[in-house]
This record gives sequence, C-alpha cells and structure tokens, in this order.
Amino acid sequence: MSHIHIPDGVLPVWLWAAGWLAALAVVYLAATVSKRSDVRRKVPLLGVVAALMLVSMSSEIVPLAYHVNLTVIAGVLLGPWLGIIAAFIVEVVLALLGHGGVTVIGLNTLVVGGEIVLGWAFFRLCVRMLGRTRVGWATGIATVLALAISTTALVGIVALAGGGAATGRETGALDPTNLTFANPFGAGVFSVNTLRGEGTVPAEAAKAPDGGLSVARFAAVVFTLGPIGWLLEALIQAATLGYVARVRPGLVFGGALSVRARTLPSHEAVR
Amino acid sequence: MDIRAIDVSATMGRSGLHRAAPVTKLAAFALVLGAVVTQMNALVVLALLLALAALAVGSGLRLRLVFGLAAYPGLFAVVFAYAAAPDPVTGALFVCKAVTAALAAVTLVCTTPYPQVFAPIQRVVPEIVGDALLMTYRSVFLLAEKFDRLRTAVRLRSGLSARMPLRAARASASALGGLVLYALDLSQREYDIMRVRGYEGRLRVTLPRSASPAFDAALLAAAAALFALALTFRVAGAALTPYSWLPPAASLLALTAAVLWRLNRR
Repeated sequence: MSHIHIPDGVLPVWLWAAGWLAALAVVYLAATVSKRSDVRRKVPLLGVVAALMLVSMSSEIVPLAYHVNLTVIAGVLLGPWLGIIAAFIVEVVLALLGHGGVTVIGLNTLVVGGEIVLGWAFFRLCVRMLGRTRVGWATGIATVLALAISTTALVGIVALAGGGAATGRETGALDPTNLTFANPFGAGVFSVNTLRGEGTVPAEAAKAPDGGLSVARFAAVVFTLGPIGWLLEALIQAATLGYVARVRPGLVFGGALSVRARTLPSHEAVR
Repeated sequence: MDIRAIDVSATMGRSGLHRAAPVTKLAAFALVLGAVVTQMNALVVLALLLALAALAVGSGLRLRLVFGLAAYPGLFAVVFAYAAAPDPVTGALFVCKAVTAALAAVTLVCTTPYPQVFAPIQRVVPEIVGDALLMTYRSVFLLAEKFDRLRTAVRLRSGLSARMPLRAARASASALGGLVLYALDLSQREYDIMRVRGYEGRLRVTLPRSASPAFDAALLAAAAALFALALTFRVAGAALTPYSWLPPAASLLALTAAVLWRLNRR
C-alpha cells in the first residue's frame, strides 16, 4: 500500500515539486556514493533487481487494490544506496506505463526508497537478534514494520496535501494569474458549477467548510486494507528470502555484491 | 502490464505518431500532463481524455492494450477517490485525471521504443541511474518470460490447487526464490557481456530525427492547444463554466471521426 496511487493533479504543486526535489537530491547522493567502486557491476544488478520489483508489481491483488513490492528483498540484495536508485527507476518505468502519476514520482521514490532502506535496516537488526537460522521470521517482521511506517508516511502526505478546506478543490493547481498555489475561486468552481452550468459561485457556497481531502476516511481505508496486504507481502517475502538463504546464504547475509565476480576465461588476454 | 505487447506496438507500428521524433512526443506528453495538472473542471478533463482517445484510435494503436493499461490506474484512483474525495463529483474528477494522464503516458510508450523514451531522461540523471534504467527495461522481458515458465512448471509439478494451500504456497515461494536467483545470475551474465564489449560506465542512445516534421509540428500544436484550453478554463473559470460542455462535445466529434476513419480503413 506504500506506493502512492494518487493521480496527477490531485496533490498540491508545492508538495509534489518538493517531493521531486528531495528525491533527486537523494538519488544524486546515492549515485555519488555508489559510483565510488565497481560501477560496471552495479548497473546490471540494479537493472535486474528493479526489473524483479516491476514484475512483482505487475500482479495486483484486486479486492485490496494491492500489489507485492519486494522492497525488503531489494534492500537485502542491494543495500540502502542502490536500493534508493532502484526505487527511482521503478517509479519512472511505472509512471511511463501509466501506473502511478508522473508528478508523484518524487514522492513515490521517497516512500518506496524509505521502505527499502527501512526493510534493509530492520532485516539486519532482526537477523542479529534472532540469528541466521530464522531468516523467514526476520524478513516477515522487517516487511511488516517497513510497510507500516511507509504507509503511515503515505497518510501523512495526504494529510499535508488536503487536510484543510483550502486545498480541497484546488489540489494540484497552480494559479497562473498570480503564480501562487492559493485558490482564487474559493470552494467550488468545479463541483458547484460544472455539471449545473451555473455562473459564479455564491459567497456562502465559496466559504463552505467542506471540500478538503478526507484524511480520516483515507487513513481508515488504508489502515483497514493495508495490514492484510502487509501480512501477505510478509509471507511471500519471508518464504522467498528463506528459500534464497537456504540455497545461497551469502546473497542474503552479505548482499548481492558480496559474491565475488567471476573471472572471464580470456580476462588476462583482454588486459 | 503486458510489457512485451507494449514493446511490439512501439517498434512495429507504422502510424504518424510512430514516425514522430521522440523529443516532440515527450514535449507533447509534458503539455498534456500540464493540462491535466492545471485543470479542475471535470468536463474539460473529460475533453482531454476524449481527445487522447481520438488520437489513439486514429493512430491505429491496439485499443485493448492501450485502454486496458490506461484504465489500470483508474482502479487505484477509484479506491483513492472513495477514501479521500470530499464528494462524488470530485471523486470522478480524480478518476478522470488518473485515466487521462495514464492514457497520455501509454500512448507515448506504445509509439516510441523504450531506449528513445529513456534517452532524454538518461542525459539529465547520473550515469549509473540512466544506464540502469535501460538495463531494467531489458531485464523485465527476460524475467517476465522466466516467471511465466516457472508458473507453468509449478502448476504442472506441484499443482496450485486450493485443496492444498500449504503445498501450493511452498511451491510458489520456491518459484519466486528461483526467480530471484535467476535474476542475480542474469545480472552476472550481463556484467560479463558488458565487460567484454568494453562498457566503461555510459550506454549511449542516439535519438532519431522525425520522418515528418510537419506531423511533429501539428502534434506539438495540438498539445499546446489542449494546454492553452486547460489554462484558459483555469484562469477564466467562473466566466467560462457555463460553456464547459463545449470542449468535450468537440472531442467527442473528433473521437467519432477517428472511429469512422478507422472502420473505413479496414
């Protein structure tokens, strides 16, 4: 549920623009840190793990409007810095496929990237506490905790966007007459007039207190459906990572980059 | 998300949109997106949606693919609208915006091969991000194919039946685990290949020129007109609200013409 499925033009401009700026700053930082060593090996690894997340996200659990993210697995395999870059790549591709808005790529990168970083941190903590034999439990706990926090962040974003009546009917709209984000028409250009074909908005209607995004209702829906999704995702990721830990434990406890690179048969000759 | 079908549509199509320069299409997409973001009048957003639908129909795109993909975010928008919209009309606006923006994005990717879509993005992001973006899309095809095969194998060998949920879950988890391992081996193989080919930290994609500059200009002008329409209704909303039905009516006419033209071509 952490991935923001909010359409373009619903969140205020200042919010998604700030999200873009913050995400780009974090991605540039992550790229700078990641570039310090062995970039050539990281590029294909990033590509396949991001692709893995995309493939998993393409299967939706319809009644819950939920899809598996594999963020904790991505965090365990890639680590925090590459994980943030993977989150950005996944969001860009998803937005181009129409799944998620282009304007919310920045916020989505922060939320999903945060989920990857938290998943990685919680997993390592749980492994330290529970031991290496309980990878499934560690993954499950890390997944539920990371998803709970990122979902709360999602609700926080919606609260920032439209808790008050001021942003209710002007969500996402820049006022080009004065280049501010305030609503020049009060409440109701759209919903009062559009379908009735009336003229100007009565002053009483313009000052109607209602009109903001319903944060309480949104939180109620998200925190009702969300935990079912968290549990499903925890089970799937725990079983998957448990299997990987049994077959190739080095990948799980050291990350995908810890496995030594193969040497090409003709490597010496190439040099 | 049938990414393989999108790729076939992007590379095999022969419409005017396919021949347009990728940069022009990206600029047109940005203008339409700007219109969607700016506009809060549901009828004007509906007009944008119908205009894009007319473009998709007129370009001979696979309608089931394009509209299916565009409708997908609508499902999430319905949940969001139910959860957060203050009234049903605003909820309908949210859904309309989601589907319109998605249709614009899907029209772009269904008419432009992915390296050309990513090339301009690749030039403004750090090298590792731009290159990984290209590698991701390539890997998606390989992993999706492998995932399909694994699902078939699990169904044949273990049986994904509701009668034995534990066994089915165990088999599915093993399949997913196998996919993770396959993905990591794939990355190692790709790394080997890139080394052999002399990869030094930048994949270069050249952008093709337009086959028809006149079509490019028309496309850009149409997108600019949509943006101007949205902006006009936004600035002079109170005065223009009684005429909100005009843009969707015009778009509906365009859509009807596109449908008739497509039917006649068959």
